[in-house]
Amino acid sequence: MTGLTVAARQSLDRPIWIILPLALILIVLAVFLGVADLSPAMVLDVLTGHGSENARLIITDIRIPRIATGILAGIHFAVAGLLLQTITRNPLADPSIMGISQGATLAVTIFLFFAVYWFDSDPHKVYQLPVAWLPAVGLFGGLAAGAVIFLLARRHDLGPLRITLCGIAVGAVLHALAMGLIAGWGSARIEIVLQWLSGSLYARSWEHVLFLLPFTVAGLLVLPFLRRSIDLLRFEAPVALSFGFPYRAQFTVVLMIACGLAASAVGVTGPIIFIGLIVPHLARFIAGSRFNLVLPLTLLLGAVIVTAGDLIGRLAGGAEEIPIGVVSAIGGAPILLALLRRIR
Amino acid sequence: MPLSCSGLSVAYGPRLALNAFDLTLGKGEIRVLIGPNGSGKSTALHALAGLIAPSGGEVSVGGRAVASFSRRDLAKRLSFLPQQPAAPDEMTVEQLVRQGRFAHVGLFRSYSARDVEAVRWALDSTGLTGLAERNLRELSGGERQRAWISAALAQEAEILLLDEPTSFLDIGHQVEVLDLICRLSRERRVTIVMAIHDLNQAMSVCDRISLLDKGERVFDGVPADLAASGLIERIFNVRGRFVTIADTRAPHFDVELARH
Ligand SMILES: Nc1ncnc2c1ncn2[C@@H]1O[C@H](COP(=O)(O)OP(=O)(O)O)[C@@H](O)[C@H]1O
Ligand SMILES: [Mg+2]
Repeated sequence: MTGLTVAARQSLDRPIWIILPLALILIVLAVFLGVADLSPAMVLDVLTGHGSENARLIITDIRIPRIATGILAGIHFAVAGLLLQTITRNPLADPSIMGISQGATLAVTIFLFFAVYWFDSDPHKVYQLPVAWLPAVGLFGGLAAGAVIFLLARRHDLGPLRITLCGIAVGAVLHALAMGLIAGWGSARIEIVLQWLSGSLYARSWEHVLFLLPFTVAGLLVLPFLRRSIDLLRFEAPVALSFGFPYRAQFTVVLMIACGLAASAVGVTGPIIFIGLIVPHLARFIAGSRFNLVLPLTLLLGAVIVTAGDLIGRLAGGAEEIPIGVVSAIGGAPILLALLRRIR
Repeated sequence: MPLSCSGLSVAYGPRLALNAFDLTLGKGEIRVLIGPNGSGKSTALHALAGLIAPSGGEVSVGGRAVASFSRRDLAKRLSFLPQQPAAPDEMTVEQLVRQGRFAHVGLFRSYSARDVEAVRWALDSTGLTGLAERNLRELSGGERQRAWISAALAQEAEILLLDEPTSFLDIGHQVEVLDLICRLSRERRVTIVMAIHDLNQAMSVCDRISLLDKGERVFDGVPADLAASGLIERIFNVRGRFVTIADTRAPHFDVELARH
């Protein structure tokens, strides 16, 4: 009886080994394909240390850092989504329920609003605006919003429902404030904000990779130690506490890690929030009954889907590329609907 | 004295849900809490488990204040199963029961042979060995309840608090759970407090019984004295009488229905 159910279940599980080679092929494709017309031979030349100056610039200073930024951001969004869905016990949770993307948006908006005066630049010239500061400003805004929501929810005992409601309310206010500010503007600042809001990997460089990397490394180093916490945070607090689990402390730790990962990624790419919503569901679907594979799969799929989405956006849009945030929302919505149909 | 409380009061806002509740248990004792819906049984169990801070009084476990324990140390000695806990989706019976070992393994230590054996014993005691690989979602209400009881057993605590462990079980599984509880008390000397609705089951399984009404403890003693007190008819607002079945057994309450 037992043997039979186990065998039946395993035959239903999807093959996982296939994802790794697919991921590698995808990354290779992302390096070889792009708007700038470089033949595969030219790309190979660059990768083996030869090639023209121009080709080398395109590959090592534009394409590869862009792909690397996408991979890191994809991991951040996906893992943050999984952690938030776990601790709020809400299958529709993503970084936006902790107000992270809204906080980051407001911070970026305020920053650009005042930047004109601080940096004494002409607001009609986009590239004179201090865009290099946006990741740090976005990170700060996202973390600040997360902290406010956490503190509000803590006064009411940190229930998952409370934190979700606080997050939605605070997020809505922050978003409205940002929109209000933008509506009052003219000028090129709007273009930057809109580009940022759509979630983009355009012109992301090695600096962005270096900005993200410490968060990725710190997050990935602690994750293995959180496996048991993540299991126990899926229970209601009285049950977890009765098992002897220090619920509040661990809830706080996991929440902080999720906020750090999501806010740093939002700072660099803008809100590509759909990834955080959809990848954990996809990972659970593929993992089937092998629950311990959900976390590694979430990581892998986060990287793969952002890379794939960005490649599609680059190729489909031609010179006017489609931002990854838009691609992931358009492509992700049907996938999400299909996956959610499995939930009762 | 494994578990006791004195003057225990719990308030939700301005309302007292439990007023000056006293309880003293000996090792291996089975204590049953009965009372109408909303009389404070769950509240008393939560307070005994250290899950709500009382507005007055104190709970002590092994002579030490419950508030002075870390959650993990407390869980090694006291295990609590809430009324109708919600199961996370995508979790097998065995995975649930393994969570019961948290107090022993903590956040990082891996499961030892001792832990694996405790999980096996807990599954076996609740007749779930054959269902170990099943997803909790695919179980009947009764099977799921047994899985939760199994998780509480895996904790191997010397005190077990159970909130309505037999509700939603068919009569066969109800008796199975009650037998298991008796065995734990007699063979392992586990001290047990449970809330239960079936009066006759309550009377026959317990050593002593406490009757709650609107947060007040209106009776505390052996089942025969409760039968003699006439309180059941008054508190539950029913008519009936206690009949003796056998000298060695608790009297049986026979309800009188209005249609007779
Ligand atoms: N979390 C809560 N907040 C406010 N009131 C509560 C809460 N839990 C229980 N109560 C109230 O306390 C009283 C006792 O409830 P409870 O202990 O659940 O009773 P029982 O388990 O005997 O049915 C009831 O009047 C109930 O409405
Ligand atoms: Mg109750």
